[in-house]
Amino acid sequence: MVKVYSTPSCPYCVTLKNFLKEHKIQFEDIDVSQNEIAQKEMIDKSGQMGVPVIDIDGQIVVGFDQERIKQILKITE
Amino acid sequence: MIYDLIIIGGGPAGITAGIYAARKKLKTLIITKDWGGQINRASEIHNWPGTRVISGMGLIGEMTEHMKEYEIEIRKGKEVIDIDKKDNIFTVRDEEKEHEARTVIIASGKIPRTLDIPGEDKFRGKGVCVCSTCDAPMYKDKEVAVIGGGNAGCGAAIDLLKYAKKIYVLEFLEEMKADPIIMDKLMKSGKVECYTNVAVKEIKGKKFVEGLVYENRDTGKQTELNVAGVFISVGMMAKAGFAEKLVELNQIGEIVIDKDNYTKTPGLFAAGDISDIKYEQIVIAAGEGAKAALAVTDYLKKN
Repeated sequence: MVKVYSTPSCPYCVTLKNFLKEHKIQFEDIDVSQNEIAQKEMIDKSGQMGVPVIDIDGQIVVGFDQERIKQILKITE
Repeated sequence: MIYDLIIIGGGPAGITAGIYAARKKLKTLIITKDWGGQINRASEIHNWPGTRVISGMGLIGEMTEHMKEYEIEIRKGKEVIDIDKKDNIFTVRDEEKEHEARTVIIASGKIPRTLDIPGEDKFRGKGVCVCSTCDAPMYKDKEVAVIGGGNAGCGAAIDLLKYAKKIYVLEFLEEMKADPIIMDKLMKSGKVECYTNVAVKEIKGKKFVEGLVYENRDTGKQTELNVAGVFISVGMMAKAGFAEKLVELNQIGEIVIDKDNYTKTPGLFAAGDISDIKYEQIVIAAGEGAKAALAVTDYLKKN
């Protein structure tokens, strides 16, 4: 299960979500700007407050770290 | 393996240089930490001719794909730490490996200036932010500080208006430098307090930011502010120390070039925001990258 914690105005978040869509990865998009519980959940999981955060079956990646995300999701180009 | 050209940097200048060099059939290596730097944070670009509006990441993605159509070697995720020249061959060293080339274009751009104070690194992402458009919503009903009273800093304060309870803007110089239209908007909100002529000395906290210490630059008096977020927006800086043996740097650390992108060392060129050209725009950086690649082509014919 893939969850993306993001805010609507963050360019890195938009790029991350487009990247997942391009690779046909289904994900739950959580807008933390509207949801304080989700905000807290994201901070607890990642130990920091910056977006985007992606949770891939419990593996947490902070920021749009394309190489790591590809590695975890086993995406090869 | 000796390349004809090594390009350092994968922003608009470096990528354009890469396209031009590849079309000239130069054996080229491009080394970059990442694709794009400052451009990635532009949510909308309205002045790239031929494309009415595009995001920064969208544009750099298009540029990168365009470059990859050509034969060019790519080394991504590595930072260059040293350049040297011996017997007309340049040695470019990154964290792992050395590479050799007959010419080099430095196009590594600018990075956000840092304050170099205690707490700044420790709390990065834990209350210390550089992307207000990204992280402003995390500070709903909280008190925050913005460091830097220019257009960028006050722009960050505007992004925060919607969320934060109180915003302190701290400016090092005696006057706020942001445009009046921005200042009016901040002042009308009733949420913003500006302190000028102050130097931020420390960012404090436990796990996350809890406050900062600033000093009045006239009296030396130190004051503590309780804030949960510190947004740093104190401009950009050129970081060309890896090439200092071979180039002249101006007062603000930019590489001095002539009108054809030559540095003081024959065979070594610079392009885009890292150079001392006056205007910093995507279209200009791309043009400078093209000029540098053409200058390299001429140089290689003669040498």
